[in-house]
Amino acid sequence: MTELSAHLAFRRPGFDLRLRLALPGAGITALLGPSGGGKSTLLRLLAGLERPRAGHIRHRQRLWYARAAGIDLAPRRRDLGFMFQDHALFPHLSVAENIGYGLARAPDRAARVTRWIERVGLGGLAQRRPGQLSGGQRQRVALARALAPAPALLLLDEPFSALDASLRQSLRLLLQELIAETATCALLVSHDLEDARQCADRVGVMIGGRLRRLDEAEAVFAAPGDAEVARVLGWPNTLAVTRWEGRAACGPWGRVELARAPRREDSVVALLPDGPRPGARAGLAVEIARVIDMGPYRALSCRLPDRTALRIHLPRALPCPARGERTLLDVPPGCAIALPAGTAKTIQSTRY
Amino acid sequence: MSALLACSPDALLLSLRVVAVTLALLLVAGVGLGYLLSLSFPLRWLLDALVSLPLVFPPIAIGFFLLMLFGRHGVLGAPLHAQLGWELVFSFPALVLAAFIAGLPLVVKPVQSAIEGSARVLVEASYTLGKGRLETLWRVVIPAVRPSLAAGLTLGAGRAFGEVGITLMLGGNLIGSTETLSLAIYNHVLDGDFTCATRLSLLLGGISLVLFLLLRRLGRL
Repeated sequence: MTELSAHLAFRRPGFDLRLRLALPGAGITALLGPSGGGKSTLLRLLAGLERPRAGHIRHRQRLWYARAAGIDLAPRRRDLGFMFQDHALFPHLSVAENIGYGLARAPDRAARVTRWIERVGLGGLAQRRPGQLSGGQRQRVALARALAPAPALLLLDEPFSALDASLRQSLRLLLQELIAETATCALLVSHDLEDARQCADRVGVMIGGRLRRLDEAEAVFAAPGDAEVARVLGWPNTLAVTRWEGRAACGPWGRVELARAPRREDSVVALLPDGPRPGARAGLAVEIARVIDMGPYRALSCRLPDRTALRIHLPRALPCPARGERTLLDVPPGCAIALPAGTAKTIQSTRY
Repeated sequence: MSALLACSPDALLLSLRVVAVTLALLLVAGVGLGYLLSLSFPLRWLLDALVSLPLVFPPIAIGFFLLMLFGRHGVLGAPLHAQLGWELVFSFPALVLAAFIAGLPLVVKPVQSAIEGSARVLVEASYTLGKGRLETLWRVVIPAVRPSLAAGLTLGAGRAFGEVGITLMLGGNLIGSTETLSLAIYNHVLDGDFTCATRLSLLLGGISLVLFLLLRRLGRL
């Protein structure tokens, strides 16, 4: 059953959003995309904090917004929780008061607040004000506050963006647990690919106000759909193809074998950074332009014959070529896929 | 103090009464109008312009237009007098109205800026947590804008104490009846009594300073 369906049109100077969205029941859908793509605007439209120009929003059998029928429910009537990017905790209220803010006055209210405080690991901090908490603690308060009223839909706008890597990791786990426990349908907007990889059941990609891809996470990462979406999903290398030779993609940068034959509309080949290996007997001719030590792996910036840049990740255990060295790069067929260019007229490859 | 009271016995008490009533009105109107102007609605620009007008319009001219409006033969003054027998000009309410209009933008604008700035996301958070506008105003907006409100009220009180232009036109500067502390200073200077003018000026400055410190403390609580 579809939990939420929306068909929305929205416009402001220099920005035009038009999309159809359908979310199934419980689980996390991560929405990725470049800045200015409309991810946060979509959340605000769903929450009723912005008014669409046209369309409808239906939650289960209930219309939240329908331009044609003159329906536009206020945010407080939409049965949703919203976790804001900068937490938006009420600075004059304690942790307990913040979490209890959205709960109706009932005899078990205090007990519910206490349960949430314990559940998000903030025991002993109930009377603290937000200004007395660390970033991670504030994030936990915001998450508990949004979930405490048991909303049917939880909207999260860049919830982990202000945190360091280790805190992000622990909060992702907490979010996953809470969403599973409460069987909530969550829509999470993020710039961070790891948020989607680690938390999401489904992944959507928004570019330029359009929802370009939405499917199960595994399916989206395996088949991005087009080159622009692939870049958002962490395929840093997209090369324009000038001709196909069977399963091989050819261009001024060289030749790469693919696992599957290209389709008629494909004009780009995308290479994963993790598969290609230098020091091969045959493959792409590259010059190592830069080596960056990333800890568990080394990031190599390679220069192709047409001066296109190629980024690869080399596990630490493997021998690493030196900067300035010329070598042949073996690209296993599974590391390369053929894609259409998307809406972009030209492929934006990084060049030296 | 006796020397001060000998200068203008009623002016100090009258000014304190005017400022007290004006501050109460500014508190309510400042929050209400600040919140209203942070929302989107038709003709918002007109209300915004009317509230901001005393910042740019000469006080004496505002006083003159209000006199024309509320005078016995004015557009509003005539029906008020005819129906209720009530005359606003040259009365205590006229002094309050003068101080209120002069101080209004100084309170509304900081509150409006605070709501449109950092408080906006708190307002939105409150809405998404199931609260309506009134509850949000009471539980979120007022606590969030308290420092801005205190700053605005400080400025508004200072303006109310020092108001001359509108007060002169609407209040009439009637000694013993509508002569505020500022007007008393003005009158003593006209009479050449610089001793009294100096004493009252120092008193006015002292009161303003105490009020400033009090309201600043209130904003920090």
